[in-house]
Amino acid sequence: MSHVGTRTLSDLQPGEEAVVTEVLAKGKIRHRLLEMGFIRGARVKVEKLAPLGDPMELVIKGYHLSLRREEGQCILVSEES
Amino acid sequence: MTTLALAGNPNCGKTTIFNALTGSRHHVGNWPGVTVERRSGTFESPAGPVEVVDLPGTYSLSARSEDERIASQFVADPSVDLIVNVLDASNLERNLYLTTQLLELKKPMVFALNMMDDVERQGATIDLEVLGALLGGPVVATVGNRGDGVDALKAAIHRVVAGADPSLDPCQWPPRVTYGEDFEGEVRKLAQELRRDEKLTEELPARWLALRLLEGAPDGLEQVRTSHARQAIDLQLQASRTFLEGHLGADCGTLIAERRYGFSRGLVKEVMTRQGGQGRTATDRIDAVLTNRILGIPIFLALMVVMYTLTFVVGRIPQDGIASGFAWLHDAAAARLPAGELTSLLVDGVIPGVGSVMVFLPVIMILMGCVSFLEDTGYMARAAFVMDRLMHLMGLHGRSFIPLIMGMGCNAPAIQATRTIEARSDRFITILVSPLISCSARLPVYILLAGAFFTPFKGAMAVVAMHVLGFGLAIVVGKVLRLTLFRNENTPFVMELPPYRLPVLRTTLLHMWEKGSVFIRKAGTVIFAGATLVWFLSNYPGITNRAWAAELHAQEEAVRAQHLPEAEEKEKLEDLAFAHHGRIMNSSLAARFGHALQPVFRPILDPDRTRTESWKDGVALTAGFVAKEIVVGTMAVVHQARAEAPEGLEGSPLQQTLRERSGLTPLTALAFMIFTLIYTPCLGTVGMILKETRSWRWTGLSVGYGLALAWVLSWGTVVIGRFLGFA
Repeated sequence: MSHVGTRTLSDLQPGEEAVVTEVLAKGKIRHRLLEMGFIRGARVKVEKLAPLGDPMELVIKGYHLSLRREEGQCILVSEES
Repeated sequence: MTTLALAGNPNCGKTTIFNALTGSRHHVGNWPGVTVERRSGTFESPAGPVEVVDLPGTYSLSARSEDERIASQFVADPSVDLIVNVLDASNLERNLYLTTQLLELKKPMVFALNMMDDVERQGATIDLEVLGALLGGPVVATVGNRGDGVDALKAAIHRVVAGADPSLDPCQWPPRVTYGEDFEGEVRKLAQELRRDEKLTEELPARWLALRLLEGAPDGLEQVRTSHARQAIDLQLQASRTFLEGHLGADCGTLIAERRYGFSRGLVKEVMTRQGGQGRTATDRIDAVLTNRILGIPIFLALMVVMYTLTFVVGRIPQDGIASGFAWLHDAAAARLPAGELTSLLVDGVIPGVGSVMVFLPVIMILMGCVSFLEDTGYMARAAFVMDRLMHLMGLHGRSFIPLIMGMGCNAPAIQATRTIEARSDRFITILVSPLISCSARLPVYILLAGAFFTPFKGAMAVVAMHVLGFGLAIVVGKVLRLTLFRNENTPFVMELPPYRLPVLRTTLLHMWEKGSVFIRKAGTVIFAGATLVWFLSNYPGITNRAWAAELHAQEEAVRAQHLPEAEEKEKLEDLAFAHHGRIMNSSLAARFGHALQPVFRPILDPDRTRTESWKDGVALTAGFVAKEIVVGTMAVVHQARAEAPEGLEGSPLQQTLRERSGLTPLTALAFMIFTLIYTPCLGTVGMILKETRSWRWTGLSVGYGLALAWVLSWGTVVIGRFLGFA
C-alpha cells in the first residue's frame, strides 16, 4: 500500500466513504484508534456531523463511532485502496 | 471455589449476563485503590460454588486506562480459573479484538454470544460449532435481557470446570492468532529472554508478556523494570522492534493490531452468513431524529428538563414525606422524653441529622435511575455526541453536561453521576467544578438576603445572577484546571455509539438501589457526623446551665398559670423555647468560633469595621459548611428572629432584623450571597468527592479552592462596589 492519501478523515463530507491509509496520531490516541479498528485498509464512512459541527459520526467495521474532528485529522484516507 | 472472570467490551450486555448468572447474590465494591466498581457474585454449579467477577468493560487489555489496567491484571491473575468472554454478536468483528488478547493467556474460556436476537433480526446466522472450534472453547448463544441461554452457559461453564472435554485443554492449544513468521520469530526470542527470570514467567505465559512488551503496554514494561534480567530483555526488545519496524514497514503496535483484526475478520467471514445487504436499522432511524442537526439539541434539552423535573420536582413528594416523618419523630420524642442533654442530643442532633441524610434518598435514587436508563438505552453516548462541542470549549467531555445540570438540584448525586465519564482527567475536572453549580439548598439563603435588601425585581435579578455566576465560574475553573493540573492528560474522545436497546428494568432498579445505599453509607456518615458536631458546638456550654433551665421552667409555669386559650399559650411557650435556644446559641462554642472568624470575614462583610454583630455571619457560614439547608435556620437562632413570615405580612422578622439591626448593607449582603454560592456546598458533597476521587488531596483542593475563590470574589465585589459608590 502506498502513501497516496493526503486527505484526512475530517475532510470527508457526510455520506462519503474512504479507506484508512495511515494513522498519524501518537501515544494513547494512536493505540485507541488502532484498537477501535482504524487499521490500514479498513473502510470508513462518515455518517453525519453533530449539531454543532463537531464531533463526527462514523461507521467502521460495521459499528458506529464518534470522533472529534481534531482526531479525524490524524487519520489519512484515500478514496479506494 | 472456582473463580470466573467475566470479560467483554463496553455495551456488550455483560452486566445483564452477570445479573442473570448470579441472581441477587452479588456484592458491589471497588477495585483496590481506584474508583472503578467491582461486582462479584456466586452461583451454584454441580461442581460446587462458582465466584463470578465482572470486569470493567474494555475494548482491549492494553492497560492504557484504569479500567484496562484492572481488567488485564485480574484476568492474568492465577486465581482466575476460567474466563467467560461476552461478545456482542451484532458487532462481532470488533468484539473479537479483545478475544484475541484473552486467548493469549491460555486459560480455559467460554464464549457467550450475546444479543443473538439482533443478529437474527438482521437476517444473519452464525455457525456456533465452527466458531467454538476456531476459538477453542464452547460458544453459547444468549439474549441477556430475556435470560435466554443462561442455563446453557452455566452448563458450558460446568463442563469446562469439570474438564469433561479433554480437547479443551488450553495448554495444548497452538496460538490462535499468529503474527507471521518474522514477527513470531522475534516473539520467540523475546520470550526466551523473559524465561531467564522465572518470577516473570511463573504466573504468566512468556508469549503473553512478550506480546505486551512489543505492544508497549505500560504494565508489561513495569513488570520487567524490576526484573534482574531487565538488561537482556530491554536489549532484545529494542533489537526486535528495530528489526520488525524496518522489515515490515510499521511500528509493532500497528502490526499487532492489524494481525488481530485480520484474525477476527477472517473468523467472522468463516462463521457468519448474511442474507441480503444491511438495510437501515432501527437505530439509524431513531438517530435520524435524536442526533439530527436541528432537532438534536432541543430534544436533548427537553429530555434534561424531564429528567430534572422527575428528580427534583416529583422526587420532592417522597422527600417531603420523609421530612415530615422525621419532624413527627422529633416532636414526639421532644414531648415524651424528659428534658436534658441526652434528649437534646437525640432530638436536636441525631434525629434531624439522620433526617437530613434520608431526605436525599429519593432524589439520589431517581437521578441514578434516570442516568442508568439513559446509559442502558444508548442515549447517553448521543447526549455526549450532541453536547461535546460546547463542553470541549470548557475543557470537558460531552458526558460532563448531565452531572453539571443535575448539580442545580443537588451537587452530591451530580458528583456520583460523573461515573459515566470514562477518562480520569475529564471526570476529575467535572467533579472539581460541580460544587460551583448553585444547588437548590443555596436558594433559601439568596431569597432571604435578596428579599431583605433588594427590591423584588433587583432581588430576582440577584438570584438569577448567582446561578449564572456559578456556571461562568465552572467554565473558567474547568478551563484553568485543564491548562494546569491536567495539561499532560490528553485523552481521546473516540466514543462508540452503541445500538439503541431497551433497558432491563431489573438492572435499572438494582443500579438505583446500589447508588442509594452507597450514598447512605458514604455521604450519610459524613453528614451525620457533621450534624452531631454542629449540635455540640451550638449547645455547649449553655445547655448545662441549670440556672437558665430553671428560669425557662419558671417562665413556662407562669405562662401556663395564666390559663390562656390553647393557641395563644402554645405560641408563648414556643417563643420562650426559642429565646432559651438563642441564649444557649449566643454563648456557645459556635458563637466563640464566630468571634474568632470575625477578622477573616471583616473585609467582605464589615468593610467599615462598624458592625458589632458580624460574628453572627461567621456562625451561619460555618454551619453552612455542613449543609446550606441550615444557614437560614442558624441565622434565625443567632439573630433571635424567626425566618417564617407571619401571615399577611411581607418579609419575615429575620429579614427585618437583618435589614435594620445586623449592620449588613445591600453590598455586603451581595458579598454574603456570592460567598455562599462559591464555598463548599455541604459535607455530603465533600463525602462524595472523597468517595469518587479516593483522594484526600483532591478533596482538600476542592474545599480549599472553594473557600479561597469565595473570599476573593466577594471581597472583590465589595471593593469594586464601594469604588463605584454602592454601599
